[in-house]
Amino acid sequence: MANFNLRKAEPKDVPDILRLIKELAKYEEMEDQVKLTEKDLLEDGFGNHPFYHCVIADVPAEHRCSLTDYSVIGFAMYYFTYDPWIGKLLYLEDFYVMKEYRGFGIGSEILKTLSDTAVKNRCSSMHFIVAESNKASIDFYKRRGASDLSLQEGWRLFRIDKENLLKMSAEE
Amino acid sequence: MEFTIRAATLEDCKDISRMILELAEYEKVSDQVKIAQRDLEQDGFSKNPFFHGIIAEVPEHLKSKEGHTKVGYSLYFYTYSSWKGRAVYMEDLYVMPEFRGKGIGKALMSKVSQLGLAAGCTQLNFTVLDWNKSSLDFYLKQGCWDVTSDLGYHCMRCEGDALEHLAQGGL
Repeated sequence: MANFNLRKAEPKDVPDILRLIKELAKYEEMEDQVKLTEKDLLEDGFGNHPFYHCVIADVPAEHRCSLTDYSVIGFAMYYFTYDPWIGKLLYLEDFYVMKEYRGFGIGSEILKTLSDTAVKNRCSSMHFIVAESNKASIDFYKRRGASDLSLQEGWRLFRIDKENLLKMSAEE
Repeated sequence: MEFTIRAATLEDCKDISRMILELAEYEKVSDQVKIAQRDLEQDGFSKNPFFHGIIAEVPEHLKSKEGHTKVGYSLYFYTYSSWKGRAVYMEDLYVMPEFRGKGIGKALMSKVSQLGLAAGCTQLNFTVLDWNKSSLDFYLKQGCWDVTSDLGYHCMRCEGDALEHLAQGGL
């Protein structure tokens, strides 16, 4: 199956983007963590100041796998971040191809498009996080020259959630 | 100690650049800093900024040994969680050594939290080096949790030749 198309996401893709976000979260065993709605995605991705960008992979009707009825079968969500030492970066938030469509080079092509976007926007690096238990993905990325900053340099990702954010913002 | 917390302006880039180098020295990696003052000016203060800054300033009579009144900063930007939506990422948080222990770091972080919440964010994310015990303790006291430890997420990077190679479709 060689026929697939990569394109920029449009507002009409929002239901499919949410569907794929949930599928990826399920794959990471975190399905109940997805609180985002179609309304959030529409407002945050297609307003005046988008918080994210998306690349979509779709297949024409005649190439759809008989088990699924979808035309949108993969996506990547990304945004630009900044490192005060080296400048602009591209941050890859989500990257997923439906199970039935893996092994055809779609993932590689999405990654190529993203890397191209990074280079064209003068980003010196592409960053992302991967769960250490996700061996298949870690191997996929390492084969393409990615390095594990947590292992190599000791970086730990920290988070503060809304409840504690509110407490912190109220402190004098 | 008397200090003010305010949004950074173009004129602050000289001091931000100075403090970025000080922070890199503290993290023992100052040879990795490739960004200059004019890059900061362009990237942070043009029409579509890639980051925002907050400055901590002390009055003239409390200035540092070298005569600086801008004694701390934070750089942050907005990101997006595909699970929870809008988020704020605190890229740098730094207070000059002689001004630590006076609540300035906490005040800077509080400001980033306020701005993040005002923008509709539900989480604040940042990274810390595993050997930086005093910072780790400070953050854990503020109610932060270690995503790398608890969920096993590793920070990954693809840069330089690897990025170029990937862009050309190489494996």
